[in-house]
Amino acid sequence: MKKHIYKILFLASIIGTLVSCDVEEFSDLNNPEVDAFGENLTRGDLQDLIGGVLYSSRTRLGTYYDDCGVIGREYWRFSSSDPRFTSDLLGGENAVLDNNTFYITGPWASRYRTVKNANLIIGFLDGQDVSAQFSDAEVNATKGFLQTMIGYELLLNLNLTYENGIRTDVADSDNLGPIVGNSQALTDIRAILESAATNLGAGGAAFPFPLSSGFSDFNTPSSFLQANRALAARVAVYQNDMSAARTFLSGSFLNLNGSDLSTGIYHTFSLAAQDIANPMFFPMNATTAGARIMEPSFLTDAEAGDSRLSKVSERNEEITLDGLTGNYDVFVYPSQESSIPIIRNEELILLYAEANISSNPGEAVNALNIIRGAAGLDPYTGATDSDSLIDEMLTQRRYSLYAEGHRWIDIRRYGRLDQLPLARPMDDVFSQFPIPLTEEGI
Amino acid sequence: MKQNNFNHGRLLLFLFLLPCFVFAQNTITGKVTDNTGETVPFANVIVKGTSTGTTTSIDGNYSLDVETLPVTLVYSSLGFTTVEKAVSVAGAVNVTMVESAQALDEVVITGLATSIKRTNSANAVASLSAEELVGKTPPPTLDGALYGKFAGAVVNQNSGAPGGGLSVKLRGATSLQGNVQPLYIIDGVYLDNSSLSSGLNAVSGAAAGGSASNQDNPTNRIADINPEDIANIEILKGASAAAIYGSRAAAGVIIITTKRGKAGETKFKFSQSVGYTEAINLLGVRDYTRQRVLDSFGQDAANDFVNAQNAGTLVDYENEIFGEKGFIRLTNFSMSGGDEKSKFFAGISHNNEEGIVRGTGYEKTSLRLNLDHKAKDWLKFNLSSNYIYSSSDRGFFNNDNSGTTIGVALTATRPWDNLLANEDGIYPDHPNNSSNPLQTRDLVTNNERVNRFIIGGTMNLDFYRSENSSLELVLRGGLDMYGQQSRAIFPKGLQFQRPENGGLNGVSVQGDTQNKNYNLSGFLVHNYNTESNINFRTQVGLTNESFNRDTKLITATGLVASETNVDQATNTGVLQTRVKQEDAGFFAQEEVNIDDKVIATVGIRGDKSSRIGIPNQYNYYPKASLAVNLTEFGLGGGGSLLSQFKLRAAYGEAGNFPPFGALFTSYSSFSTDGLLGISLLGVRGSKDINFERQKELEFGTDIGFFDGRLGLSATYYIKTVDDLILQSALPPSSGFTAEIVNAGELQNKGIELSLNATPVQNDNFQWDLNVNWFRNRSEITRLDVDPFNIGAFGATLGTYRIEEGSSATQIVGIGPNPGPNGFQVFGDAEPDFQMGLNNSLKYKNLDLSFLWQWKKGGDNINLTALLTDLNGTSHDYDTIDLDPEGQLGNGDYRVSQLGSSAEVFVEDASYVRLREIGLYYTLDKGMLGQVLGGNIDSVRIGLSGTNVLNFFDYNSYDPEVSNFGGGTIFTGVEVTPFPSSKRYLFHLGVNF
Repeated sequence: MKKHIYKILFLASIIGTLVSCDVEEFSDLNNPEVDAFGENLTRGDLQDLIGGVLYSSRTRLGTYYDDCGVIGREYWRFSSSDPRFTSDLLGGENAVLDNNTFYITGPWASRYRTVKNANLIIGFLDGQDVSAQFSDAEVNATKGFLQTMIGYELLLNLNLTYENGIRTDVADSDNLGPIVGNSQALTDIRAILESAATNLGAGGAAFPFPLSSGFSDFNTPSSFLQANRALAARVAVYQNDMSAARTFLSGSFLNLNGSDLSTGIYHTFSLAAQDIANPMFFPMNATTAGARIMEPSFLTDAEAGDSRLSKVSERNEEITLDGLTGNYDVFVYPSQESSIPIIRNEELILLYAEANISSNPGEAVNALNIIRGAAGLDPYTGATDSDSLIDEMLTQRRYSLYAEGHRWIDIRRYGRLDQLPLARPMDDVFSQFPIPLTEEGI
Repeated sequence: MKQNNFNHGRLLLFLFLLPCFVFAQNTITGKVTDNTGETVPFANVIVKGTSTGTTTSIDGNYSLDVETLPVTLVYSSLGFTTVEKAVSVAGAVNVTMVESAQALDEVVITGLATSIKRTNSANAVASLSAEELVGKTPPPTLDGALYGKFAGAVVNQNSGAPGGGLSVKLRGATSLQGNVQPLYIIDGVYLDNSSLSSGLNAVSGAAAGGSASNQDNPTNRIADINPEDIANIEILKGASAAAIYGSRAAAGVIIITTKRGKAGETKFKFSQSVGYTEAINLLGVRDYTRQRVLDSFGQDAANDFVNAQNAGTLVDYENEIFGEKGFIRLTNFSMSGGDEKSKFFAGISHNNEEGIVRGTGYEKTSLRLNLDHKAKDWLKFNLSSNYIYSSSDRGFFNNDNSGTTIGVALTATRPWDNLLANEDGIYPDHPNNSSNPLQTRDLVTNNERVNRFIIGGTMNLDFYRSENSSLELVLRGGLDMYGQQSRAIFPKGLQFQRPENGGLNGVSVQGDTQNKNYNLSGFLVHNYNTESNINFRTQVGLTNESFNRDTKLITATGLVASETNVDQATNTGVLQTRVKQEDAGFFAQEEVNIDDKVIATVGIRGDKSSRIGIPNQYNYYPKASLAVNLTEFGLGGGGSLLSQFKLRAAYGEAGNFPPFGALFTSYSSFSTDGLLGISLLGVRGSKDINFERQKELEFGTDIGFFDGRLGLSATYYIKTVDDLILQSALPPSSGFTAEIVNAGELQNKGIELSLNATPVQNDNFQWDLNVNWFRNRSEITRLDVDPFNIGAFGATLGTYRIEEGSSATQIVGIGPNPGPNGFQVFGDAEPDFQMGLNNSLKYKNLDLSFLWQWKKGGDNINLTALLTDLNGTSHDYDTIDLDPEGQLGNGDYRVSQLGSSAEVFVEDASYVRLREIGLYYTLDKGMLGQVLGGNIDSVRIGLSGTNVLNFFDYNSYDPEVSNFGGGTIFTGVEVTPFPSSKRYLFHLGVNF
């Protein structure tokens, strides 16, 4: 019996261990938590956080460019597994743009994700004493870089929603600022870029973090400031503030030289596992599963001999989907590792032309001729009144910046959306996307 | 006189001794046999209303001393109908027990360590015996055997791929974004029922459109359990019955008990089934004419079509891919036996099933050993152990955004496209799509392999046992451990993998998951009987559960030569996901049984978990129930028409966990041009997230007539889910798209009716009938966040929408007559009702049984048709029956509705199916005579089928489908799935 008593005591002790069990509290086992950086931000941390901004600035970019390219009638996006590229975006039949579909929710949220990534870093820098890790100049440089990115990301969202507006004050997630219309939003974005410029100007000689190869010519605070000024020039042109645009351009990397059109800052892509491949790439002769097919007027409207027609490639066989038939693939980005420009010199020359049309038409023509010459075209011989030059500028922008997300915005700025071609009789050209459903009522 | 005195003296002595005789010398002896004359060893013989009793010996004999006469003895044994016998004189009492399929209904679970007679249960607990589970036809998987067999369960197959992928949902919508699948417990072991993604998204890009859900269509791990091993299943459908399982019981609990050895001669059972499977329904090809081809595809295609037509080379590619017959082999062998002290059951089974698509299939080997050991009269151990190896090849199906899955590729395939491999085995590129589905089928590997070990043990220790009270200690432990390897290989020779086609030059995705769950519990059970036949049963216990899973998914692209090892590649990425959880809790319950007249139970469970915001704080889940047996009060019973009339009511609460990671706001790591970086995930963490809480109240009645030959059961329940866990949309400008919050309340109300009858029963013929009917209605009764769309592909194509005052599974979309919210309601996934009709007919040695299942109503979002329309390949493209104007063919009409109305994509998913049918003939011992020396007990041969007849008016393969798998209530979204299939099997079984 004694033996059994021992056994029972042993069992009782097992129960005792069960009683004493508190459950263990786990932190996030799979990912770094945001709170961890609020206390002790190291240089290594900053590098990773900046890397995150570079990453998220590229997510859903393909959708952004397709939104602009399809509505701007640069090309059609075929996707046999998603009909909405050819119905909603082209306004086919009775289709309209929905406020809760990927074409607006995806890019919108991704751009604001980047803004948040950047704002969090600024918050980490402001919220603790980082003097042991970073010099004041390095803190300024970091903020200047991040603010420039914020301004750019906001501008892309504004490009989609236009008069419907965006939120520009989003630093505090729990206290978001109001949705402001196009004009106020442009003002706010310009102010953000100006503040960034001030910080970059006091940013010393180097950033305390590496940047991707897409920024290789602009990877110091002073050179990046030129990229910041370029973006500010784009914003000023959108504001129709041409004198400011000329000022900004003078501080930018504008180079009125037709052999240097591609200098600029770029999004880079790779096939590395956690990286993103260029979302704008499809192989030649891609099928309806996924293809970008040139809108036919791009070819028929072109001047003979325009070398920029190499941006499209003739298919072996024509392709048809949803009542749209095309013969040419968009081939601006020839591989999955091709870069996509954020802003580059060819646009700056065109912005320079545009900013001079009313004040200095001759200089505008000079600039346009640099572009024409680079495309293998003879110099401009048309009238030099503002309207004619605007026509010519828009045409050159159409071919120079093909499939880079500009056509729809340019044609909209000049109130000419009704001039875009309709491939099917029931199609519509929309001027802007609705604010995403989940953004409303806040 | 002297003689008289002596006699008086004897009388006095007799009178003196009489009490001794009366109180100690009433010995009842006897033999217990079954209806075939075989003895029944180890049957329980208990004096009714006490815990006094004994068990029969190995040859069926028993001997029991009772204090007073008369007494009522209760004879019970697993698999037999319990017999009550009034005994008024001591001596021999022989009893015959009848084997019964219904006998397993005898007890139902009421506590973690106790059960109760069904006639006393206050809950509508469903049970299924082995006969009901596998008697008609062997089910492909355990969950596949639950269709139509009891009220309250919606079973849905996600796709027809072999090897499972089902969801079981009990009593309507349990949760919107938390777990909706029941907890499975097998012999006390908490089973893992995960569906682990095999990383196909790397190729399909299915989630690229922003649908984060898993669209890989993996197997759910309950498929590992061998249905042939199961003795019975009990289903606790909602919190009123399942509150004892606390925070993981909200979706119900399915308790599985496996077969155990019986003492006596060692019995062997062998069974072999062979058969085949084929698609239940193929759609066919469009009725092409030259003009139609010209209109849809242009001049080149029209020429190709005419040439192919003239040459007779048009191919029905749907039939080419889905038209195969898959061979099925199922083998089972088991042995059982033992003596009074130790018993065993050992089983081995092997399944090998091919699918209807070449290269798909499912193979499983299961080994089981169950041991019971009675060390002392007061100390018992039992052990259940199960090893499973399974391997499933699931093909490459479902949604994609790259035109690569076989289903999506088929939508773009026309009969004149030349896709067949030439004599060198080279497949031509698909002229109209990024992948050649025949090449994909033959070259792509998508395999999951599992090695799993499930072991559970229980120890019962009687601290003391007296006539009126007893105290028992029950200790239980369980371990569920598995390793799962997934291999998805896309060789570089595939059309969509070649770099010139934008391919990645070969992809190898290999996953490795190690899962280890264990659970420990200890209980004390105290029984006390009063003089007046009131039984008090008290139990208290402690529980502890731990879950640990570690998944490493390696994606390699740019493969070297034909190597598939992930190091032989240009780019390699690794994703590791760890999931850990610890829970601890206690449980206390008091049951009072007043002479089987009134049975009342109150109990409480307290749980804490690492998965909620405040981990070390108890959450309490109370329960209470009451059952009143009116027959015991003299209403009916005792030979009258009415043999049972019980009223019952039960209330209970249970919890549901927030999703893993809901507590944290975190970054995820990525790279940009070789620079590592961390970017926010879209979901903001919530530090104070708590359990979702379900409160269920159920009422019902059980009525029996004609000594149980006709039984009716009716139950009404109100199941309220409070603190709903929702992924609440945040304005994306905050940088987050959602956060997980407790914000809302959902209510389900439902009715469950079932009828059991034996209309005919005589020596030669018996007919058993079971009908069940149930319906559920859900409503979002409170929503603290803005209404939101969920679970599909957006309002243009039809989506689920959560709104206060509406059904949780309403389907809305854009439409011509939108409501104030901007959407038009087009349907609801909730069926109007479901019904099962189960018949079993037995004439002499011939058995015929069949099960019809009817799902009335409930809608799907069917996008398969649209995808084929856009490619001009729909089978009904030119049929005109959708357009109200009668002008447009169905294909053109559906396309014309894109962007203006989602109505045409929402379809009624009703069906009627002959779910199971089996016809068997048994050769019994008498007929077998001296074959093999008379050592064969019986031989059973038969034919059976699954899904043999299917009736539905739904424009695809099967209305039973779910692109997003089973982990959600938002099933019924269809995007080019793997078609479902029917099975036919031939069986041979030998018992010896």
